Amino acid sequence: MTQRPLELILARNLMSALSTPAFLVDQGGLLVFYNEAAGTLLGKRFEELGTVGPEEWGSLFGPFDESGDPIPYDELPLVAAVREGRPAHAGLTIRSTDGTLHRVEASALPILTAHGTQGAIAVFWPTGGNGGAA
Amino acid sequence: MKVKLWGTRGSVPSPGPETIRYGGNTSCVGVTLSDGSLLALDAGTGIRNLGLALPEEPTRLHILLTHLHLDHIQGLVFFAPAFRPQTEIVIWGPASPEASLRDRIARYVSAPLSPVEVRELPCDVSFRHTPEAEWEIGPARIRSASVAHRGPTLGYRIEDAGASLAYIPDHEPGLGADLDALEEEWISGFALAEGASLLIHDGQYTDAEYPGHVGWGHSALGHSLAFARRAGAERTVLFHHDPMHGDEFLDRHAEAAREAWAGAGGDRAAIGLGAEGEEHSLPALVDQPAGTA
Repeated sequence: MTQRPLELILARNLMSALSTPAFLVDQGGLLVFYNEAAGTLLGKRFEELGTVGPEEWGSLFGPFDESGDPIPYDELPLVAAVREGRPAHAGLTIRSTDGTLHRVEASALPILTAHGTQGAIAVFWPTGGNGGAA
Repeated sequence: MKVKLWGTRGSVPSPGPETIRYGGNTSCVGVTLSDGSLLALDAGTGIRNLGLALPEEPTRLHILLTHLHLDHIQGLVFFAPAFRPQTEIVIWGPASPEASLRDRIARYVSAPLSPVEVRELPCDVSFRHTPEAEWEIGPARIRSASVAHRGPTLGYRIEDAGASLAYIPDHEPGLGADLDALEEEWISGFALAEGASLLIHDGQYTDAEYPGHVGWGHSALGHSLAFARRAGAERTVLFHHDPMHGDEFLDRHAEAAREAWAGAGGDRAAIGLGAEGEEHSLPALVDQPAGTA
C-alpha cells in the first residue's frame, strides 16, 4: 500500500488537536485533510467529504476575493506554498455549505523535507466579516 | 531467515538480578538471511555479544540503524569484528540535513566519549544513508520508512525467502492519533508492518504510564496492540523495555498484552515480550529460551 509521508501524518495529527481551522494538501495539491474546526467553518466534516481536488473544492467552498470573484486555484496560499515552496498569506472569503460567507485570513506553510516539498498546511483565521458580495 | 534478539532494553543498559530473563542490553537484533548473510538491526549494547558470537574469519556484515540515540549505537565501539582488519562493515542509517551519518556517529566514536576514533577502526567500515525506498542486501529486499519518534528515525522491513520481518523498536504511532479509526495510509509505520511474519515493535510503557510520557517517542501497550492488530502481523514481539521494568513487572506486562490481544479476538501465542537470547525462525514459530514469558 502507499503510505503517506511521515511529515504529513504528523501534520495531520497536530491539526487534529488544534481548535483553529487547518487544512492539509499533499505534494500534488490535493486536499487530503482538514480538522474539526475547519469542518465547523465549512459546514461539512472531512469524513463526509473525503479527499478532493481543486475543482470540487472550488465549486463547494470558493474561495472568493473581496469583490466576490472566485480566486484562481493557482493563487490560493496553499497552492503557492506547495508549488513554490514558500509561505503565503491572503485574505479570502469562504462559502459554507449553508451558503454563509466567512471572511478569513489564510496563512500557508510548505512542508519541506529531505525529499523536497511533501505538501502544505494552511491555517484560517476567521475575521468576523461575512465577505461582502459573492 | 533467522532472527535473534541480542538486546531488548530501551533507553539505557539495565543489568542486574532483576533483569536477567528479559535482559539488560539495549537494542540489537541479529538477522541471518537465507544465504547466510548477516544483518544487525541497531547497535545498542546487545551488539557486543553478537560480535563475540561471530567467527574470526573474514566477515562482511551490514548494520542497519534506526536512529542515532545512544541506546542504539552504544555497542559500536565494543563490537569485536570492528577491530579485525578482515571485517567489512556497512553501516546504514537515517540521513539528516545537519551532518553526514559518519560525522554524526563520530560524535560518539571519538574523544572524550570513546577511546578510539572512527578512522582508527581496523575494519573496512563504510557509512550509507538509508534510502527511503526498496533495495537489496544479498537475497533480501529491504525497505525503510521514517516513523514517529523523536528525531530522524527509521523502521525497517526485511523480506527473504517468503518471510518478512518488520523492525520498529522506537515508535509512537498513537501520538495525537486514534489508531483504531485512522485510515491505514495515515498510520505511521503501517506499510512496513503490514502482514509481516514477525513484527518487533516498541512496547515500552503500560497504558497507565503513558500519560506521563506523551511525546517521548514510545508506545503505550494499547497503542502497540492496536498497531499490530491493524497491521495484521502474524506474530508480534514487544521490544525496547523500559529500564525501570524488572522481570516480574514484564511478566505482568506480557500477561496484560496477551489478555488484551485475546480479548480482541487474537491468538494469545501470537504476542509476547522480547527476551534477550530469544530466537525466531521465520516463518516457523518462535523458539524461546526456558523461563521466558
